[in-house]
Amino acid sequence: MAEVTLSNVRKSYGAVDIIHGIDLGITDGEFVVLVGPSGCGKSTLLRMVAGLETITGGEVNIGGRVVNDLDPKDRDIAMVFQNYALYPHMTVATNMGFSLEHRGGSRAEIAERVKWAADILGLAPLLDRYPRQLSGGQRQRVAMGRAIVRDPKVFLFDEPLSNLDAKLRVVMRGEIKSLHQRLKTTTIYVTHDQVEAMTMADKIVVLNGGKVEQIGAPLDLYDRPANQFVAGFIGSPSMNFLTGTITTEGFSAPGIMLPLPEVAHEHKDRKAVYGIRPEHFALDENGVPAEIVLVEPMGSETQVTMKLGETLVTGVFRERVSLSPGATIRVRPELGNIHLFAADGGQRLN
Amino acid sequence: MKAELSPRRQVFLYGLLCVLLIPFVFPTWWMVTSSVKPISDIFAFPPQLMPESYDWTTYAKVFELQPFVKQYWNSAYIAALVTIGTMIVSSMAGYAFARIKFPFANTIFMVVLLGLLIPSEVTIVPLFQMFLKAGMVNTHWPLILVPIFGAPSVFATFVMRQFFIALPAELEEAARVDGLGRFKIFRKIALPLARPALASVAIFTFLHSWNLYLEPIVFLSSADKFTLPQALTQYTDAYGGPMWNIQLAAATLTALPVLLVFIIAQKQFVEGLAHTGLKG
Repeated sequence: MAEVTLSNVRKSYGAVDIIHGIDLGITDGEFVVLVGPSGCGKSTLLRMVAGLETITGGEVNIGGRVVNDLDPKDRDIAMVFQNYALYPHMTVATNMGFSLEHRGGSRAEIAERVKWAADILGLAPLLDRYPRQLSGGQRQRVAMGRAIVRDPKVFLFDEPLSNLDAKLRVVMRGEIKSLHQRLKTTTIYVTHDQVEAMTMADKIVVLNGGKVEQIGAPLDLYDRPANQFVAGFIGSPSMNFLTGTITTEGFSAPGIMLPLPEVAHEHKDRKAVYGIRPEHFALDENGVPAEIVLVEPMGSETQVTMKLGETLVTGVFRERVSLSPGATIRVRPELGNIHLFAADGGQRLN
Repeated sequence: MKAELSPRRQVFLYGLLCVLLIPFVFPTWWMVTSSVKPISDIFAFPPQLMPESYDWTTYAKVFELQPFVKQYWNSAYIAALVTIGTMIVSSMAGYAFARIKFPFANTIFMVVLLGLLIPSEVTIVPLFQMFLKAGMVNTHWPLILVPIFGAPSVFATFVMRQFFIALPAELEEAARVDGLGRFKIFRKIALPLARPALASVAIFTFLHSWNLYLEPIVFLSSADKFTLPQALTQYTDAYGGPMWNIQLAAATLTALPVLLVFIIAQKQFVEGLAHTGLKG
């Protein structure tokens, strides 16, 4: 186990900057998720930590040692790849013991470590099989087994669940999380799926365009996003945004006036973006009118697409209410959960 | 889902295939049957599809008139060395072109590929002069070295490069994380996975070397150094006319190992064709 520190880490391909100077501290045993849309540089950053990509500038430090110029094999890391990268011509056991074999481990020691990892991951009956004889979930487990068998300082996961179906993804998500809780190895996990990030991380790093938008605990990011990008990226269904102006009467959006908390009035007459999460609408006779466009009953909740003034927004209601498209309901945005962002730049105002 | 063919259509298709088979099967059939015919029957009209009498002494004469066993051995060991050498050179060169980033890699590869465009007839004279100076004429070295570092190896390098390009980069990256250096990645990961491509390279190289004709007649002059294709031309009578039945018996014996290899490795052969993108 080890701390990982990135100091002003940069990556360029020729004149094109991919990573623009990232600072990040990961404490010993922490589970950090790098999340962001495609092309934001999260996988590149992970590969730089792994040593699979060169570092243009800055410093990567693993366990108190600057590793910029070290080969991946000398960094004491293990990596799980998106497509598992299992060696197709080797059995599960050989795949798992391969790195130990090349680090001079004795046969008995390798067999013992492989057995230990196989027991943890439920792979014991599959040790003699080849990767082609395994299901997606089993392959994923073997890839994890290959990583843990060496007891590295840091685990690196590069979108390991994206090739699995939705149901298996949820199962494997739980397995990775419980594996981390058991081994307590420092982990850096890359995903574009914000649900994975929310459910697994001790700390989330939201990346966009090669820059860090926000670093924090999952609920901190959810409750107090630093800017409009993070607010829109974290949470599913995503936050609703209405553009308009802060006035003394409330927030003036196209075709509607929305209530604002007292504290917002210090930004009076400022153009802003009004953000509210779908679950923070309440049905209330004294609320603002909303015309229902689409109703999607999910069982545990009902997702409603509705028109607030001229803007389409999504609301999620836990109550079993009878709603039908075309009808007008009255909803009240919860004042404590309203987010205001600057119209220019998207920084948080409240 | 495959559509079921009606019986009538099936009969028609099989009949058509049988007709199309004739130009492919007939020469082999003619070679094998004529090898046991008396020479006068070979040109009899109408042609005899089955020999009326069998003359097996032609096979004995193949070995009496030429050092055929020695020539067989020459062809076999040259083809084996060329095949092994080409597999080694082409797999390493193919891997380097596919996986190692070095300046002008693609340009150099193009230059290498240009070697395929030069007909062997064009280079045979300079090669002869080169090997003459090196004292290697009338030895088997030119027949071994030219294919290993010449056009057949270029073609094999192309096949191997295309295979290695398609190999997922993550496998190599996983191996790097697992602690392997470049050469070990090649030997332990890339090469074992390249078996289908290597098999096709082996089959094509072996066939090419086994059938090589121009180079042996240029470089070799003594009968005990001859390879089989060259030896076949040596079965002539006192007037220089071909002894057809003995020649065809020798040809049958020459084709036999290739036929056997083809029958045994039919699957790999077809896969090999698919790999190279050739139609044979």
